[in-house]
Formats: sequence, C-alpha cells, structure tokens
Amino acid sequence: MRFFLLLVPLALLLGCHSESEKTALVPVRDGLGRTVSLPAHPRRVLALAPSMTEMLFAVADTATIVARCPQDNYPAAVYRKPVVNNYPLDLEKLVLLKPDVVFTVEGITSVDDAQRLQQLGIPVYYLRFRRVEDVFKGLEEVGRLLGRQPQARHLTDSLRQNLKTLTNAPIRRPISKVLAITWQDPIYCYGQNTLFTDEIRMAGGRNAVTETFPQPYPALTREYILKLNPDVLLGGSFGKLDSTFFKNYPELKRINAYRNRRIFPITGNLLERPGPRVVESVRELQGLLRKAESKPTVSAR
Amino acid sequence: MLARRPALWLTLGLLLTLALLVLGLRVGSYATSYGFILNTFWHYNPADPAQLALVELRLPRLLLALLAGASLAVSGYLLQTLVTNPLADPYLLGTASGASLGAIASYVLVPSLTLAGVYLPPVAALAGAFGATVLVVALGSRRGKILPAPLLLAGVAVGALAAAVGSLLTFLAAPEGSLRSVVFWAFGSFERAGWSVLPYPAAVLGVSLVVLAFLQKDLNLLLLGEERAAALGLPVAARRWLLVGLAAALTGGVVALCGPVGFVGLLVPHLTRGLLGTTGRYNLLGCAVLGGAFLLACDLLARLLYPPAGLPVGLVTALFGVPFFVYLLRKTT
Repeated sequence: MRFFLLLVPLALLLGCHSESEKTALVPVRDGLGRTVSLPAHPRRVLALAPSMTEMLFAVADTATIVARCPQDNYPAAVYRKPVVNNYPLDLEKLVLLKPDVVFTVEGITSVDDAQRLQQLGIPVYYLRFRRVEDVFKGLEEVGRLLGRQPQARHLTDSLRQNLKTLTNAPIRRPISKVLAITWQDPIYCYGQNTLFTDEIRMAGGRNAVTETFPQPYPALTREYILKLNPDVLLGGSFGKLDSTFFKNYPELKRINAYRNRRIFPITGNLLERPGPRVVESVRELQGLLRKAESKPTVSAR
Repeated sequence: MLARRPALWLTLGLLLTLALLVLGLRVGSYATSYGFILNTFWHYNPADPAQLALVELRLPRLLLALLAGASLAVSGYLLQTLVTNPLADPYLLGTASGASLGAIASYVLVPSLTLAGVYLPPVAALAGAFGATVLVVALGSRRGKILPAPLLLAGVAVGALAAAVGSLLTFLAAPEGSLRSVVFWAFGSFERAGWSVLPYPAAVLGVSLVVLAFLQKDLNLLLLGEERAAALGLPVAARRWLLVGLAAALTGGVVALCGPVGFVGLLVPHLTRGLLGTTGRYNLLGCAVLGGAFLLACDLLARLLYPPAGLPVGLVTALFGVPFFVYLLRKTT
C-alpha cells in the first residue's frame, strides 16, 4: 500500500514533465535585448504594468489572462481577474498562478525581480517604448507571441489609420512648448526621452523639455522652468495648480502658460500608459492644444 | 601651527564665504556674467526672468545654504560640548528623525499637501522636530536636570522609533508619487528656498550667536565635566537647558526647511577646534562661518555636477566631508 502511495506523486511529477515537454520553448529577444525562452503557445499570461494589461486585453484571448495588478483599472473587465501585487512583487502568488509568460514594461519591473521570476521558471518579457510607433509594434509583437497575429494586426491597422486621420490636420504655427508635470514637490516632468515627446509632436505641439536627462522623468528647478517658459502646462486645472503649484512657487507665475491661463488637467492613466489607448491620448493632447490656442494671448513674446 | 590666530582664520573664512556666494550666483540655467550680477543689483528689473531668477531663486537658495550650514555647525558644537562626546551631532536630540517623520506623514497622509491654505510638509517637519526633541529631553532628564548619557541614549531610541514609524508610513504609502517626495526629502535640499522662509533661521542664528558670545567661557568650563564646572561656580543645570534649547531651535528650523542635511554638524565643529584650538574664544563664530562656507561649497558642487536640479546636497556633504573627516582624525590622533 505504502509503495502505491509513493507512486502517486511520482506519477503526477511524470505527468507534469510530459506536459511541459509538449509545449516546446522558443527563445525570443525582448525589448531590453534579453533572450527569453517562451512556450510556443502561451495559455496563461499576465502583465505587471497597467499599460501592459491594457495591451493584453486588446490583443490576447481574455480567458488566458490570469491576473491583474492593483493599479489596473482599464478595461472594466480587469476587475474580474484576481489581483497580484507588482510592488513589492508577490512571488508566491505568481508561482501559484503559474503563468507561461509575464509581460512588463521597462522601468516598471526591476531586472532583479525579472531574474528571480526567471529562476522560478516564469519567463519575463519586457517591452520598451520611445515613440508611438513602438506601441503599435509592441501590440503586434504581443500578438505574434500569443498566436493572435490577425487580431493584433487588425487593431494596429485601425489605430494607425485613426492616428493618420488625427494628424492630417494642418499644423498651426507657432508651435506651442508644452510642459507636462507629474509631481509638484519636487517638480518632476515628462522628459525628452518619454513617449510624451512623440505624442505631443503628433498633437501639434512640442515637449518644452528639449534636453535629454538620464532619468525619463527628471526633477526640474524653478529657474529651469522659468527659462523654458512653456506656453502650455499640463498636470492639473488652472484653479487647482493656482492654489497649490503656483502658491508654492509664485516665481513661476510669469511663465506664458500661467499668464495666458493655458493650464489643463489630463486624464489620469491615459498619458502615462503606453497602450492601445495611445491614439486617444494624442487626441486628448490635440484637443487641449486647440483649447489653448483659442484663449487670447496676454503676453506677446 | 596657526591654531592661535583666530582673527586670520575668521577673515579667511569670511572671504571664502563671500567668494562662494558670488560664484554661486553665477550657477544656474540662465548663463550669468559678473557684469550681469552687478547690473541686477544696481537696477533690478523683475520683468527680466533672468534677473528674477537671480534675485528670487538663486540668492535665497545661497542664503539658506549659508544659514543652514552655520546653524547646524553651531548646534553640533553645542551638543558635542553638552554631552562631551566628539561623535555628537545636531541630530542627537532626535530632530532629524522627528522632522522626517513629520514630513513623511504629511506627504503620505495628506495627498493635497495643503491644510487651510498652508503648505504642510515644512510645518509638519518643524512640529516633528520639536516633538521628538521634547520627548528626548524628557527622557534624558531627571528632576529638572539634563543628564548627558541618558540624553544620548534617549536620542538614539527616539530616533530609531521615529525612523521606524516613518518607514512604515512610507511602505504603506498609497500614492506612488509621494515616495519620490519622501526620498527627495531624506537627502536634504535647498531647492525650496525663498525669501519668505529665511527670517526664521536667520533670527534664531542671530539670537543664538549673540547669547553664546557671552557664554563661550561657560562652554569651555562644561568640557571639564559636571563636578569641576560646578566647583568653579558654573550653574551647570541652567546652562545645559540653555544649550539644549538653542541647539533644538537652531536645528529644528533648518531641518524643516532643508531636510536632514548630514555631516556638516559633525565635521565643522572638529574642523573649527582644529583651527582655532579646543577652547578658542571665537569657536562658535568660527563654526558659523566655516559651516556656512562648507554648505555653500557643497551646494555649488552639487549644482555643477548634475544640472539642473543638482545632486541632493546631503550626498555631497558626505562624499566630500567623510574623507576630510578621516584626514582630520588621523592628523589629530
């Protein structure tokens, strides 16, 4: 009897083994240039970044998405998935969920954490985005890896088409310098090497920050912002920033954006997520720039 | 050695401070020449953004660095004297960890960061600094007398407790952005300087230096130990309370405005004693001058090394202060 009891786990182990042999691993190169071995047809996937989750919901068979992160809130269907902590990374839960591959974005998941997951047998696939086109390519890449090429292609075709219609409008001069802040104390902003630069260019403006800093979201001094003298400031409504940002930094009230009240809030989670809603984000930026231009200019400089 | 020529060293220190101030005025996003600086001070035109930056941003920043350095150095000197321990620094009274806890609590718990129109972090930091100091002094005193050894231990304990609560708040912090503020705050920075925040540290430093000018001899007596100082007619208990009060006021304001800038309060008193003698008459003035010059130099370096925002000044004080400190140690022992 005991002998048979011993056999049970052994048989289970063998069973697992033969199953994993069926799904042969294919080495691929991810966005960071790391070589990752993925099963040819991943059936259990999850993302460790909200933007990646949006991409998965847009491309993958939603039944194959096994979890979401606490910050994920789009599309509404994410709320039906169990939550797994991405910071700090809940390794046990991830092991329990047994995903065939985990998708994430450069800068969100540390390479250290990815290494740990890899050691636990969970491959981590990174994507990185510098331009809007990279997001489309990323969607196609995810489609290819998940065996959902037609769906991905269909999506990116329509996204590219929408973007083209959007950016076909004639560009009005002069081109506004736009500063988008992400935090007030210290003042952090969208740097030159973020997707924002490409998005605002497509919307008909340009990123006020033209210097490239080591960090994608650099901290800026008040003097630096004074010198940039942005025409438009994004990061909150005029009233809100007037009572917080400009109250703490009254010197900045002389920037063009403040004098002309060209200060606007942006939809939370839209600009900061390089996902399938990237065209929507460009559309929002374009709308804000139009709104800005419709306001009378106080300072002529 | 030149150790007995305080006038010379003080003059050199003041000249150095002045030179650093002028150099500091030139560093920023707008290219600035000496001529432009002179012109700005003769005919100040706030409509010119470069002139505005010079007067409203750079100058208060430099003055805050100067005041912070001077205050922390004097405070460090007072506390080293009080506990007769060369390792004492201004944060011995729990000021830094108390202020950090206050600032972290406001960053984490009040996402709008304003309460009744008041920008909260510096106010909360000041409250935390004084709260921690009161607790440390209460634990470090018996029947109205401050006892140096228990005071030291109480400082360590309260500091560790405040740090732990601060870390807990940071860990549980819901808005991710506030982590950046917390980290940024912990390094220390003069970035938030403005004319409106300068009067407090300036007044405290001014009053302290005037009061202490009459007490330099008493401080030297305290170094002899409680019994001998008392035997020589010194009201030890009263003097200790005065020193703690001044040190707390000097440190609290600076920490609330600049964050816990490290090392200057430990290093500069030793440097001063090395230059002016252990019981020099002008040691406190020397501390103030050298401390101010030291932080001015560190801030200048920080902004030159990593424009535009500059490295956190606390990193620079440690990076350049520690080797110098080790050199001093080797030289004096």
